[in-house]
Amino acid sequence: MIPDLAQEGAAVEKEWVPESQAPVVMFNNVGKTYGRYQAIGGISLALSGGVTGILGLNGAGKSTLFKLLMGKLRPTQGEVRLFGTNPWKNPAPYARVGYVPENENMHDWMTAFEFVSTFARLHGLTRDEAKNEAERVLEFVGLSDVMHKKIGRYSKGMRQRAKIAHALVNDPDLIILDEPLQGCDPLARTTIMNVIRELGRMGRTVLLSSHILSEIERITEQIVILHQGRLLAIGNLHAIREQLDNIPHTIEIECDDAKALARDVLNLEVVHGLQFPSSSKLKIFTHHLGEFHQRLPKIIVDNEHNVMAINNPDDDLQSILKYLTGGVR
Amino acid sequence: MSKKERGETIWTSLDRKATAIAEFTMRQYRTRLSTWVVLGVGFLAISVVLLFYIDAMNTEIEAIDNDGDSVDWDGDGYVNGQEFKYGTDPLDIDSHPGLLDPSIEPEPASMYINEDDYDWDYSDASLISTGYDDDGDCRESQLLPSAQDGNSDGTPCNIILIYNAATDTYLIYADPNVDEDPDEDRYGKEAQHRAFILGVGKLGFVFLLSIFIPLFLATGLIRDEMTSGTMQYMTAKPIARGEIFLYRMLGYLAIVWPYLLVVCSILAIVSGFMGPGDQFFRFADLGVWFSILIAALLATLVYGMLFASLGVLWKYGIILALPIAAWELGMALLSMSVPDSSFLRMSIVGWSMSIIDSAAYLVWPDMDMFTAAGAWAGGSGEASIFFGTGNALPGYRALEWAQSDIGLGMGPYATTIVSMVVLLCQAAFFWFIGQLIFKSKEIV
Amino acid sequence: MTEEPTFDASAPITGKGRMDTAWGSDSADQATVAKPKAKTGQVFEQVYVPWEGTLNPRWMRNWAIFRHHVLGIIRKGHRPWGVPTKLVLIFVLIASMTDVALTLLFAVIGEPSLYELWGVGRNNLYAHVLGFFPRNMLFYPLVAALLVGGVISEDRSNGTSALYFSRPINRFDYVGMKFLAVATIQSLIIIGTLFLYYFADILSMGRGWAWILDTFPMFLTTVFCALLLIITYTSIGLALSSVSRGKFFPGIALLAVLLGTKTLAAIVEGLFDRSILYLLSPYDSLAHVGQALIGTNVMYNHPWIWSLVSVIAINAVSLYVLSVRVSSMEVTRE
Repeated sequence: MIPDLAQEGAAVEKEWVPESQAPVVMFNNVGKTYGRYQAIGGISLALSGGVTGILGLNGAGKSTLFKLLMGKLRPTQGEVRLFGTNPWKNPAPYARVGYVPENENMHDWMTAFEFVSTFARLHGLTRDEAKNEAERVLEFVGLSDVMHKKIGRYSKGMRQRAKIAHALVNDPDLIILDEPLQGCDPLARTTIMNVIRELGRMGRTVLLSSHILSEIERITEQIVILHQGRLLAIGNLHAIREQLDNIPHTIEIECDDAKALARDVLNLEVVHGLQFPSSSKLKIFTHHLGEFHQRLPKIIVDNEHNVMAINNPDDDLQSILKYLTGGVR
Repeated sequence: MSKKERGETIWTSLDRKATAIAEFTMRQYRTRLSTWVVLGVGFLAISVVLLFYIDAMNTEIEAIDNDGDSVDWDGDGYVNGQEFKYGTDPLDIDSHPGLLDPSIEPEPASMYINEDDYDWDYSDASLISTGYDDDGDCRESQLLPSAQDGNSDGTPCNIILIYNAATDTYLIYADPNVDEDPDEDRYGKEAQHRAFILGVGKLGFVFLLSIFIPLFLATGLIRDEMTSGTMQYMTAKPIARGEIFLYRMLGYLAIVWPYLLVVCSILAIVSGFMGPGDQFFRFADLGVWFSILIAALLATLVYGMLFASLGVLWKYGIILALPIAAWELGMALLSMSVPDSSFLRMSIVGWSMSIIDSAAYLVWPDMDMFTAAGAWAGGSGEASIFFGTGNALPGYRALEWAQSDIGLGMGPYATTIVSMVVLLCQAAFFWFIGQLIFKSKEIV
Repeated sequence: MTEEPTFDASAPITGKGRMDTAWGSDSADQATVAKPKAKTGQVFEQVYVPWEGTLNPRWMRNWAIFRHHVLGIIRKGHRPWGVPTKLVLIFVLIASMTDVALTLLFAVIGEPSLYELWGVGRNNLYAHVLGFFPRNMLFYPLVAALLVGGVISEDRSNGTSALYFSRPINRFDYVGMKFLAVATIQSLIIIGTLFLYYFADILSMGRGWAWILDTFPMFLTTVFCALLLIITYTSIGLALSSVSRGKFFPGIALLAVLLGTKTLAAIVEGLFDRSILYLLSPYDSLAHVGQALIGTNVMYNHPWIWSLVSVIAINAVSLYVLSVRVSSMEVTRE
């Protein structure tokens, strides 16, 4: 009687089987609008295997994309496929998915162990199986020493790891992590990044979102850049980076004697141009940011320049987006 | 798949999910202070009524001389009753039993109060001949035999009760001075006891507890999780939202039902021992208590489903729940006064209360006769020469207020079964609607 | 230059330490790792400059809070009351004016017997404020519940109370203004319509001074009773709002207190013929006081002074709970 209501169409009498040929995740011209606000407009995307980073500023539509995938939102246009199945009103494909929501609220009154084992049972595990699984995944994310403490007492990083553990409990083929590094300290970041890299090595399909490029950079080379609900770039990070390196980066240095510093810096072949906004400021243009940054310290120290500040106004997602959108925004 | 090999069906996995969510919900409620406050206050409220009941059971009801024969009109030291007995003139100071030969000592007035209690036997015949003249002021009086048989049924000094099925009342035709001075304490305690069970059952359990507890505990069952965002975890698991709704409900019931069982048992035990009567414990009343429990369990189920659905439907579901609660209060009062009103069929409380009414009918078949006796009050209830206006026995009004007939026009068993089925259907209906709304809700 | 960079106060900013952090572990092997070399510590002198602006007087700051809450009902840009709350307020406002409408209607028709039924009189004034059905069963408690529902608890759960307390605002002023704002909105509905009712009667019937002198004390007493009712509902509601976090809990709890105690008292009265439990019910105590003061039929057996004491006690307990909770409230997001 209940399985009848589970599916919108036919009753679930036999176990759900994914379509073998279908990509793990597929968006076909998917759009989502809230009232007059368009969160996502016509995205087409198919992903299978590997770790993929979804990059975008706040409000770019990353969470909306994930929520569409998890059947929490109904697309206003196009079709979403999870293992070849429409996830809206159909929880069957979630058997092979682990989802870590962005939401910081958790069941603070439970211990991590209870949390993970309870939700493991929703995958149809018995009590004992669920307990074993919970121990396994909590060990995997490195929470085994504190797993019998209330989640309410956890730090942010521990909470994120508990959330990841709960998503891994069914040994999923697809793991979706919505902003897994948000609000974590560097140590927790490293731990979580290692967990994600490990998952990638294990051959899982991992989707994670972030608005910080350097974070994603340390985990994966396969990225998708979203901007204002549209797809901006997709593919290998290096390839995209390559293209980005063809435009000059700007570095702003505040120092006592800008002219003297300019003389020393100009010797570097990576420097492409200079500008003096004021007597104590120097703007340097370069194609190879990384190399320049490796050389700069030596120049400063060798020539005893008194540097007040170094700014990289471009070295963030914002400037990449600026470049990709052709400076329109 | 290995699962299949182990002989597992979809039912065993459903069962695992069900217990997981139900246990989860139960534990969630247990860790919240507000749950305990709500349940504690509910218990306190019921306990207050219980305290009043205990107080009433321990207080002697003042005896009333219904037939007025304990007064001494002429002031000769002999109360009227004694003068009637010996045939002297109660209005003449120079005529009293002390002047008879042998001289009779005056008897205390208390002997003529409550001296002729009810001796009514119940049967379900439409014409009952009952009653016995305990004090002998009919049997041994100097009245003519025709006068002793005032109701002309051929038997002197008895009472004829004729049941009028149309109005559901008894007509009382009594011979003079038969059962004319009932024992207020005996009647009043029995009436208050029954009224207490019915009143606390209907308004206390089926209305007060069964509305407010679901209002507090069930309105947020799904909504709170959706607002706080923790529903994200559960809806990301391979489980239908309709199931989540249902199993959360099971968890809620696992808190509320044992609570009702405990509170109801406490009341049943206390009133069983405290209640009037010669027996050690009033076992028969347990039937009514059981029906109260069943009615309350079903009512909390239906209200829970309803309020949880309203919570899913709208963030401000409570606004919709309040007019419903007001309507139910109106229906509760209506069901106590006009139990056969067809409005009651559009309520939850009406169906629940008819379960209690049916059980009361089975446990206390003499209820109609009993209330009729209270209203009659030995003849003084209706206009009588001594009191002028109607003067029902103590406890009668409470019983009349709390008691009502089965309004469904069916027998008690049929009514119980039909009411339970209807309530279960209502619960299923609200669940169906609730999960339908929940399923098409976008969880942001 | 091979010297390691130093990090004491006089050292020039070389950008080295900054570079380490900027490039993190990727280039850790090439970058110089900063090691503090300073042998002596240094205490920086802290100079606090007093703020020299002018602070508006206390009443003006409080007025701002009050205004923020009350204007939120009609305007955007102030405290956002929920749409349902506004809808219910409008509905109750209209429903409270039924007697105004009927007075005007029967004055126009000119039928004195109907007018007697609806015109200003002791019973009708009482019923406008304290009548149980439907006003005190459905309307006024619902309004109070919706208004107090989130007024403190929402601040607590969202952490917005910090926005108030990081400004020169005292906690009691904060709660006091919330109290006043909620009470004012209720007054607009209950007392506002009462005034309308009274003046509709004067205008439509062309009342003279004699009539006004005759009925004005009665009218003022009713206003007093209405104030008592509003204050009582608000203080119970805010006390409940201050002890809970949820949005609905205070609202439901207020309704449970108002209607639950009344039902309980009705059960006890019905079964045991004792009206004493009505003292527990805020509505019944208010109604009893109102009946005694306005001079309508008193429907309770105990002396009305007891009910007055009960009303005062209920208010005192609620305000005590409220003040204790607010003074010990942690300013954080809970």
